[in-house]
Amino acid sequence: MERIFELACAFSELPAVSGQEHIGMERVAELCKGYFDSYEVTPVGSFIGRISCGKAGAKTLLLDAHIDEIGFIVSEICEGGFLKVVNIGGIDPRILPASEVLIYGKKTITGIFTSKPPHLQEKDELEKPMKLEDLAIDTGYSKEQLEEIVSIGTPVGYRSPVVRLQNNAIAGKSFDDRICAVSILRALEMLKEKELPVNIAVQFSGGEETGYKGATTASYQIAPDFAICLDVTNAYVPDAPAYRKDIKMGGGPSISFSAQTSRKLTIKAVETAKKNGIPHQLFAEPNHTGTNSGAIQTSRGGVPTVLVSIPLKNMHTANEVVMLSDVYDTSRLICELALSLKEGI
Amino acid sequence: MIERLKKYCGCISPSGCEDEIRELIIQDIQQIATRYEVDRMGNLIAFKKGRKTPDKKVVVSAHMDEVGLMVKYISDEGYIYFDPIGGIDPRVVGGRRVVIGDKRIYGVVASKAIHLQKKKERGMVVPLEEMYIDIGCDDKKSCEEVVSVGDVATFVPNFEEFGDGLIKSKAIDDRFGCALLVELMQEELEYDTYFAFVTCEEVGTDGAKQVAFNLRPDIAIAIEATTAGDVLGAPKSRYACELRKGAVISHIDGSTIYDKKLVEYALATAQENNIKCQLKNVIAGGNDASAYQRTAAGARVLAVSAPTRYIHSASNVVCKDDLFEIKKLVLALLQKGF
Repeated sequence: MERIFELACAFSELPAVSGQEHIGMERVAELCKGYFDSYEVTPVGSFIGRISCGKAGAKTLLLDAHIDEIGFIVSEICEGGFLKVVNIGGIDPRILPASEVLIYGKKTITGIFTSKPPHLQEKDELEKPMKLEDLAIDTGYSKEQLEEIVSIGTPVGYRSPVVRLQNNAIAGKSFDDRICAVSILRALEMLKEKELPVNIAVQFSGGEETGYKGATTASYQIAPDFAICLDVTNAYVPDAPAYRKDIKMGGGPSISFSAQTSRKLTIKAVETAKKNGIPHQLFAEPNHTGTNSGAIQTSRGGVPTVLVSIPLKNMHTANEVVMLSDVYDTSRLICELALSLKEGI
Repeated sequence: MIERLKKYCGCISPSGCEDEIRELIIQDIQQIATRYEVDRMGNLIAFKKGRKTPDKKVVVSAHMDEVGLMVKYISDEGYIYFDPIGGIDPRVVGGRRVVIGDKRIYGVVASKAIHLQKKKERGMVVPLEEMYIDIGCDDKKSCEEVVSVGDVATFVPNFEEFGDGLIKSKAIDDRFGCALLVELMQEELEYDTYFAFVTCEEVGTDGAKQVAFNLRPDIAIAIEATTAGDVLGAPKSRYACELRKGAVISHIDGSTIYDKKLVEYALATAQENNIKCQLKNVIAGGNDASAYQRTAAGARVLAVSAPTRYIHSASNVVCKDDLFEIKKLVLALLQKGF
């Protein structure tokens, strides 16, 4: 678990707003040192690492987690050193006022989202929806100074160093989907002493939050025989739809049934979890899963894919919450499923 | 002053729970105060002998408390519901990190994922009474082992310098005032002066009322952090005050009409000494001056404040230069006498 916490801190901090993953790629390669026989970075911002099992004609299992995060890009540099931004991916404006961000310009600088002082607020303002357009980022620089550091298109991300909560829970930014990258690396550590029946290719794909382009292209490059797509899923919280009630924090990875995944591989994953006593939960999402699973499954001539998700709260906010035990159980499931693929599916 | 401010901003001391900040201040003043006492309501009143004893009794006052949250109810799922301590805009609470109680338990104010929101929920501010804190517990029992009804919470300490000479932190309102008072007490003063570190400003200037009653000052100067409205899109006429323009002198706010002669005296002193200062141009807010003005036979009052953006949030923003200008101005006033 401690290892997972360490990795979670390192991965959470990566600056990789969707579409600008290149900024974080060097650090990704650093974090992945020692895990792979070879690696490459694709032209659209995905990291691919490969481990060969050394067997002639062995099949290849793909493990996918997306490395990009939701965030913002600068749309205007304004008087007084304020920045206007537009969102990259789904952002809830309600959590932004007076929150901290990092602006990845020529140097990385801190910014604070503005909040309207009470004396400027209209009476019925709380009755109206908040919009990102109504906010700006305060940088503490003058417009002229700012123009030397940032430009239109500069990415901006949440700033939220990982903290521990009770009960093995942790809070931080971009666990969607970096926590899954962590679960993959932890699984590779578990597999180190084992005899691999298949080659393993890992893709830390870019561009998931903005249309799966990293997974589409990296999967093409890898041409795997089967795949485990790892993402996060909304755990039940008060007032969430009732059908989420069985997705619980601490309940282990959620395995999805969907038309965008392979039923056969999904059942194998469930059986593997059962056989090895790995806590897990089931989720049904028949159509689009909102993850890379569809892009991977339809790559080239088709790739049987299973979607495994880590329960998470407050998705797309600066304080996403996950439980270390769920990450660990996900790593175990990846490990056991990889070992079980000797005879294909 | 900046290091001291950082230290003070790190305290978890919302209204009614000022022990931690008061202890730190006592450590800092015990060698430099002529005498000090803590009254029965928790106010810390220090006296510093000057070269002369003035005709008028002068108190410089800052409040130790900050806005915060209080635990009201722990649900079966282990979520913590709360009320604000002092005035907090719900918009700066959702999604923020807080630290709860003496055990310093970290929590996050939950915000339902955008994917789970119904269309009509999108963008709509959640009222404070419907927000809850998640500390990672999944039932009432385990939550109650570390958090209890009545525990207080504040935003997580986050003091940092950024941009071109700015600072962001929780609780600059009014730890700045506390830090400044200690800085002033380190100076050789011309006149005997009282320094009051008061409690419970955020819930109605309660501490200052008792200090005013017990001390009966002739002149009271409140050192505060006041809302700066100089954010993008706001009309200049509604700025109230601006960062980088120096000390803010209020001639009127939401609860006090200040002593005209004192206001003029402060402005003239600033001018004589080349100290940057500005007049607050919006009638809003209020501070301990109202308590000093109204208690017993009343005192003549002045407020000198730091222009502060995003007050009562997790990130109050001030400019270091403004803080230094305020120190110069208040020191000049004290040395000149009244």
